[in-house]
Amino acid sequence: MRKVWLAAVVVLGALAFGQQEVKAGWIYVGPIGDYGWTHAHDVGRKEAEAAFPWLKTSYVESVPEGQAGSYIDQMVRQGTKVIFATSFGYMDAVLEAAKRYPDVIFAHATGFKRAPNVATYMADFYQVYYLNGLMAGALTKTGKVGYVGAFPIPELKRHINAFTLGVRTVNPEAKVLVRWIYEWYNPAAAKEATEALIAEGADVFAFTEDSPTVVQVAAEKGFPSFSHYSPMLKFAPDYVVSGQLVHWGTIYKDFLAKVYAGLYTPKNLEDVDYWWLLPQGAVELGADFGVPVNPKFAGRLKAKAVDHPIFGEISVYDLVMKLHGLMKDVELAFDPFQGPIKDRKGVLRVPEGLRLTKHQLETMEWAVEGVVGPWPNEPK
Amino acid sequence: MKLVPRPEPGVLEVLLVSVGAVLLAFLASLALLWLYGAPPWEAAAAIAAGVFADPRGFAEVLRRAVPLVLVGAGLALAFRAQFWNIGAEGQLLMGAVAAAGVALFSGLPGPWMLFAMGLSAFLAGGLWAIFAALLKARLGVNDVITTLMQNYVAIYLVDWLIHGPWKGKSAFGFAYTDRFPEAAGLPLLPGTALAWPGVVLALSFAALFAWLLFATKLGFEVRVLGENPEAARYAGVRALFTLSWVALLSGGAAGLAGFVEVAGTHHKLLAPLQISLGYGYTGIIVAWLGRNHPLAAALTGLLVGFVFAAGDVAKVALATPFQLVQVVNGLILFFLIAAEVFLRYRVVLGVRRG
Repeated sequence: MRKVWLAAVVVLGALAFGQQEVKAGWIYVGPIGDYGWTHAHDVGRKEAEAAFPWLKTSYVESVPEGQAGSYIDQMVRQGTKVIFATSFGYMDAVLEAAKRYPDVIFAHATGFKRAPNVATYMADFYQVYYLNGLMAGALTKTGKVGYVGAFPIPELKRHINAFTLGVRTVNPEAKVLVRWIYEWYNPAAAKEATEALIAEGADVFAFTEDSPTVVQVAAEKGFPSFSHYSPMLKFAPDYVVSGQLVHWGTIYKDFLAKVYAGLYTPKNLEDVDYWWLLPQGAVELGADFGVPVNPKFAGRLKAKAVDHPIFGEISVYDLVMKLHGLMKDVELAFDPFQGPIKDRKGVLRVPEGLRLTKHQLETMEWAVEGVVGPWPNEPK
Repeated sequence: MKLVPRPEPGVLEVLLVSVGAVLLAFLASLALLWLYGAPPWEAAAAIAAGVFADPRGFAEVLRRAVPLVLVGAGLALAFRAQFWNIGAEGQLLMGAVAAAGVALFSGLPGPWMLFAMGLSAFLAGGLWAIFAALLKARLGVNDVITTLMQNYVAIYLVDWLIHGPWKGKSAFGFAYTDRFPEAAGLPLLPGTALAWPGVVLALSFAALFAWLLFATKLGFEVRVLGENPEAARYAGVRALFTLSWVALLSGGAAGLAGFVEVAGTHHKLLAPLQISLGYGYTGIIVAWLGRNHPLAAALTGLLVGFVFAAGDVAKVALATPFQLVQVVNGLILFFLIAAEVFLRYRVVLGVRRG
């Protein structure tokens, strides 16, 4: 349905405004070959370029935060009219540049400050993490699930919390052991952390780090894992259960089509904030595109039954599929952070019958029950 | 053709050989760009347009050069005394930490704020370097190792601060301090991103170090100590005293570079790799290119600043990969080292008569 609407908008826009070409530029924080964040944005850029004949794109990779402003200058000099800045750290530089170039449209990923010509956007995984958690809970034999995290920031805390809620829905006594490595990309540290978690007894693994290291180290020991960000099934086809995948292209195509059609202008972006989840197709469940659950694990997941408050007696596999379907629903028929939820210190964080607002999700610092390990900035 | 050794080369020869090496390096870089599909004339034109066509572009050269000159001039001084300070990166970060601490917690008004930030950054960088100098002078501990290792200590200190006690309330959970108050921002040259006081600081310190080195007793002691430690000892040069001064000044200049970066560009403390962009290490190339003359380091700092700024332009205008800047810097160093042979030897053409 959305595709039809998009196509209609584009055709109408082209007829009405007769625009010739849109030049869009991307500012990346890492190298496009990082197999994580920047790579995924670049896939999205290419997808948009392939979809729209009127679109011309360019990019710069590994842009330090203090340099973003001068790269934006250079892009504008090249005639770029739409600039996507893909790191939180670019926020101030983007807002300053937006004042300098009032006719250029900016979109800032993960940020929260907007302006008439600055929109914000984010594709978030927390729903997918919950589904992965359900499967992890069914697969752990020791009751300990290992999690290797990059940085203890709200985004990761939200994901680990959702994951843990999933684990404990299936396995109420299970724990999620967390280790932080304080880098987005550091295979050596990820390996060490995984080995330490194995030594502590963890037998299922999930992580946030831009390499397939955790998957590979776990597979060497014969432990299942969940891939992160890019398709990692091929790195351990017998051991990767599922994972989370991103489709930035969905957001980029929607945004650029609306720019082309004249719906987005440098004057009306103040309230344009994409917070795109499963329903919009910005994220996907799976370790490879189109494979939500590795068929090799279907048997074990079907064999494990839980007594679910909504569905009653149901296999974990069916539960994952049912909730996946519900969360893909635009009306958000189900949400992982459905009250009552207490944090691990016993404070009630989500009251009975309520869910969290986007702002509460974005600023989440607490840890749910079942999370074990250091948790910097944990509220008292 | 054969090579004949020659005595100490003159200033003119040094200059000619250095400029020649840099030109060759630029030509090699253009050839490299050609391989990426940008013909040399187009590449040169695009870079010239991006760097020289408007004040914003050119100000970027100076903005990159300021920390390089501060670090490079200080290192020139240190290397003269054979104090092998590989720790400018850490000293720069300590300066940034001290400046950020003053900015965030002192609440000082107007110009006092900037003065206190600069002074504390200088002292923090200087004291961070003195530690290694003391170990070297007293216990003979290898300064390359200590200064290098101190870089990591400084990096982890910054990481700890931004993830822990100094993490900003407005940072949305990301690892940054809060933004500095207005009073803690260096004024910018209108229409550019260049904090002009940084340029004044860099030039003043390069001149100060040159004066110290060539017109004062301390400078004389530094040079004697560097060229012949044994002779220096007989002549009564106080190694501990001299090394400590050199470390304080060299580390202090690097600390000031950290101050300029956080007060002029970032306005907050952030991830160590984002604060400095490796200026502490590139400063070694700057000092070396300037043959450890602080004023020459001001020129070579400008040159390397140009390489950085031109690399930024090339990344956008020619879509070159991000590693190109490092490759060009490497090429310059490579050609300079290779050209060294022409300083030590004369090339004599002709058939050898037997």
